[in-house]
Amino acid sequence: MEDKYSSNVLSGGKLGMVEVPDSRLTRYIVLLILSKILKALGIFESYDILKVVHIVQFIFILKFGSAVILLVFQKPFSSGKVISKRQWIKLVKHAVSSCVISLLGFFGLTLCGPLRTLLLFEHSDVVVVALLGVLFTNSGGGPSKTRGAAFFIIAVICLLLFDNDQLMAKMGDHHPEGHHDSALTHFLYTAISLLGVADHKGGVVLLVVSLCLKVGFHTASRKLSVELGGAKRLYALDSLLSAAVMLPWAAVLTATTESKVDSWSSLAVPFAMIIFSVVILEFYVEAVCSAKMEAPRCARYGAFALFPAALALANFWTGPLRRPPPTQLATEHVLSGGVIVSAVFFVMASSILTAPSKKGQKGTLVGYSPEGTPLYNFMGDALQHTSQSLPRFIKDSLKQILEEYDSRQIFYFLCLNLAFTFVELFYGVWTNSLGLISDGFHMLFDCSALVLGLFAALMTRWKATRIFSYGFGRVEILSGFINGLFLMVIAFFVFVESVSRLLDPPNINTDMLTPVSVGGLLVNLVGICAFSHAHSHAHGGKSCSSQDHGHSHHGHSHGEHGHAHGGHGHSHGGHGHAHSHGSGSRGMNANMRGVFLHVLADTLGSVGVIISTILIRQFGWLIADPICSLFIATLIFLSVIPLLKDACEVLLLRTPPEQEKDLNSALEKIEKIEGVLSYRDPHFWRHSANVIAGTIHLQVMSDVVEQRIIQQVTAILKDAGVNNLSVQVEKEAYFQHMSGLSTGFQDVLAMTRQMASMKYPNDGTLIL
Amino acid sequence: MLPLSIKDDEYKPAKFNLLLKLSGWFRSILADKTSRNLFFFLCLNLSFAFVELTYGIWSNSLGLISDSFHMFFDCTALLAGLAASVISRWRSNDSFSYGYVRAEVLAGFVNGLFLIFTAFFIFSEGVERALEPPDVHHERLLPVSVAGLLVNLVGIFVFQHGGHGHSHGDGGHGHSHSLFNGTLSHGHGGHGGHGHSHDGHGHSHDKHGDHGHSHGGHGHGHGHGGHEDCHNELQRPGEGSSKQILQGVLLHIIADTLGSIGVIISALLMQKYDLMIADPICSMLIALLIGVSVVPLLKESIGILMQRTPPTLDNALPECYQRVQQLQGVYNLQEPHFWTLCTDVYIGTLKLLVAPDADTRWILSQTHNIFTQVGVRQLYVQIDTAAM
Repeated sequence: MEDKYSSNVLSGGKLGMVEVPDSRLTRYIVLLILSKILKALGIFESYDILKVVHIVQFIFILKFGSAVILLVFQKPFSSGKVISKRQWIKLVKHAVSSCVISLLGFFGLTLCGPLRTLLLFEHSDVVVVALLGVLFTNSGGGPSKTRGAAFFIIAVICLLLFDNDQLMAKMGDHHPEGHHDSALTHFLYTAISLLGVADHKGGVVLLVVSLCLKVGFHTASRKLSVELGGAKRLYALDSLLSAAVMLPWAAVLTATTESKVDSWSSLAVPFAMIIFSVVILEFYVEAVCSAKMEAPRCARYGAFALFPAALALANFWTGPLRRPPPTQLATEHVLSGGVIVSAVFFVMASSILTAPSKKGQKGTLVGYSPEGTPLYNFMGDALQHTSQSLPRFIKDSLKQILEEYDSRQIFYFLCLNLAFTFVELFYGVWTNSLGLISDGFHMLFDCSALVLGLFAALMTRWKATRIFSYGFGRVEILSGFINGLFLMVIAFFVFVESVSRLLDPPNINTDMLTPVSVGGLLVNLVGICAFSHAHSHAHGGKSCSSQDHGHSHHGHSHGEHGHAHGGHGHSHGGHGHAHSHGSGSRGMNANMRGVFLHVLADTLGSVGVIISTILIRQFGWLIADPICSLFIATLIFLSVIPLLKDACEVLLLRTPPEQEKDLNSALEKIEKIEGVLSYRDPHFWRHSANVIAGTIHLQVMSDVVEQRIIQQVTAILKDAGVNNLSVQVEKEAYFQHMSGLSTGFQDVLAMTRQMASMKYPNDGTLIL
Repeated sequence: MLPLSIKDDEYKPAKFNLLLKLSGWFRSILADKTSRNLFFFLCLNLSFAFVELTYGIWSNSLGLISDSFHMFFDCTALLAGLAASVISRWRSNDSFSYGYVRAEVLAGFVNGLFLIFTAFFIFSEGVERALEPPDVHHERLLPVSVAGLLVNLVGIFVFQHGGHGHSHGDGGHGHSHSLFNGTLSHGHGGHGGHGHSHDGHGHSHDKHGDHGHSHGGHGHGHGHGGHEDCHNELQRPGEGSSKQILQGVLLHIIADTLGSIGVIISALLMQKYDLMIADPICSMLIALLIGVSVVPLLKESIGILMQRTPPTLDNALPECYQRVQQLQGVYNLQEPHFWTLCTDVYIGTLKLLVAPDADTRWILSQTHNIFTQVGVRQLYVQIDTAAM
């Protein structure tokens, strides 16, 4: 019951489909699958027949045969309401359009061959409607539907582009002098050649168009079928009328052109079979199945049956009534990789598009409103964990990135960096310069630090989950730590490299170095400006002095020595700042510091390269390069150390140094609260930039009100900056009890375990 | 009650005495089995690197010099492990109220990161070389790599041996338990590493197996509930020697060993069959193996550093919450935070909303009892009385 109601509530406002268990429907499913396989067979046969019979004649025979059978079965004239004149007119229009669609479909069949036709044309209405809904409306039904639509489009594109069928090319060659049997085919051929695509691709386009037409036609005919009293009656009448419509044309064709058919009698059996399998059986089975199951499910099973059957038949089909024409080998439509891939995609697309919408699956029925509509309760999880589609995910995260200052800054700089990298790479590939390419890859590698920082800045804002109960604030510190380590490693390698170069200075080609490194320097300078601005932003209160800092910084970027000192001093300065204010903001957060240092290191690198290039060029000091690198490596190393130290302290759960004094005085205050005997195990640690967690045990006298003390302590510690506190208040007796317990902790643990293993009622009555 | 904080009037900072400090460090290193092993292996590695360096400078061979620097870089991993194992035994003080036990997790993390870096570098190098194979001078490659392999093999043996000895020392009964638990998981891993050091492929499998084992071992201990198991668990933080450090160091050594093996194999292939492509392929494979085998370690240590709810408690906690909520007088359970301090030490805080007339003392001890049973070592329960 609950399952029934919870399945599909949100989509479309109506109550969801009811998924009946498969076991009850096995009969119908088997029937459906059989009919689909037969249909595939029929289509293959009709392709063979269409090689000899003209398409108009073929459709006429088809319509006529089915009309006869349906007249016998349905008796549309003797049963049901009397049909008015206006309805007759509508019926005629209906019949004409159905004729046109069949013509298009079968013409596509002659162009593309049976397999592709089956893949393209035989989609259920549900699939196409869902597809069009995704493509042209906003409320497409969620990301999974979007994915399905994408699969569908990919499949069509696969058929269009990656399906190299030799036959089709050949047909394209010979069709001008070939069978231009009628004005219609001629017109179609001209239209396709006007589109400027090859024949079979034209066929694909044609089939897609006619598929859309078919769906529109079915949708439009729904009203008429209601007016006439049932789809079956409409179908019967429609076949009859279409046969009538086709009759003159077919008669004229038969009269004017000589038939390629040897004996019509030998074609009677295949025609009968086609009529039975393609027209009659499929119609009835679909009608029955959609009555018993819901339409999407029907379509899903149909697709699962039809497409593999089509693939298998395409492989093994050696038509029982194939005329052996001389060009048989050449005219065989072969299986190509593109077709197989697109078949797979079609199956996936139709299964996704017809899958019931997953939204609101987790809602649980809580009851009924006074009006009688069911009420659902949606847990937070259910709403959070809807499936994410890639475009939407990107859109969302972009929005999130741009929301906050830090991440926006990183993001813009990342874009700049990437752009520079790609320009460098392209230019490198274009001019075939290995140095540029490798430098580009190096830049790309640097970007990873930025990506990491960006990701961390995003992740920090995630909500706490059950597993990560303190939230994800620590990611920031971890990212800073990783960035710092990264820099250390790089510095180490640069150091090693330069030592080995010091021993054996290589000849450096200085021509190309300068423009590239100047470009890199410029990019990095922009980055430094941006991030030092962020720095000032973080400081907030003292923007004036920070601005000064930033400027001096900037000014120094021309001399590497001063610059590096500026950077170093800067980070320290920021630190001192925070100390003096002591207001809980630690200047920049670790993440931003890591990114900043990384950019700084890069800048230093380019500055070093420029200086050494100049030195080498002017004075021919080859030794300048390794010395520069040595110097830079040391500088990077030194500037990273404070960051690493801070991050390590946080990760080691140190009491936050800025709060230490406050906390100590707070603890003293706590001791002075009336009724508090003492405290024990005070732990305070910084979890992330703005969360300081703390725990403390208090021993209180037995006659005080615990709540008051908890409130007081919480207030005191909140003043000291702790915002995630838990206080355990212990009365004296309890304390003695617990301290006894913790001396014999192991024994207690062992006892309780033993107890659990011996299946005592382990509700813990042991202690009391 | 005595005041628990120490006033620093009588405490004068001792004069910095390098010798004293060094000897102190030395003693603390030698005091523990793990750090002793680490230290010896570090010495071995360093001496090898120095020999290589001096020989390289003497014979003016750039390859040897760069290789020796690589060895130095490797030593940093060992150094990190060693430092962590010493640091994690430092007492807790005012600033570091939990002590320094987390250092071991951090060391494991750093080692894992370094390995990932290394794997990445090797991989990119391999790709570069696969595109245009340089001609490697394989005549000198072989001896160096064989020597490196020998050193690393010694390392693996040392750790394996140390692990076993430790387990035997723990007592007869403890053998099977402690084999699975914490300390010995590295011994196991060492064994795997050794066995597999002859073919690189199985290595990652074994790493996975090792990982699974330690978890399985955990379940084992819980289910049977042997005494030794508890002892082990309780004494570990004091003794240092944690899973993370050793796992990290061992992974590093195994990675190095694999590297040498790869070099040897490719050198042989190049010498015998002139297969120049063997070198980059080997190095890429090795890089992949390293990368894959490091992932579990990194995942675990990041989880701990981010105060994740311990995976081993994942299943047990909801049941505990349920039981606490069923205690008489408990209305609600709020803000449960559970996290791992270091290997197998779990800390939790939670707030209980109780009825005004509930027996808070009873609830408190019951709650403590419930969570102690699943292995939470330190618990802070704040009891809030609901408003009337």
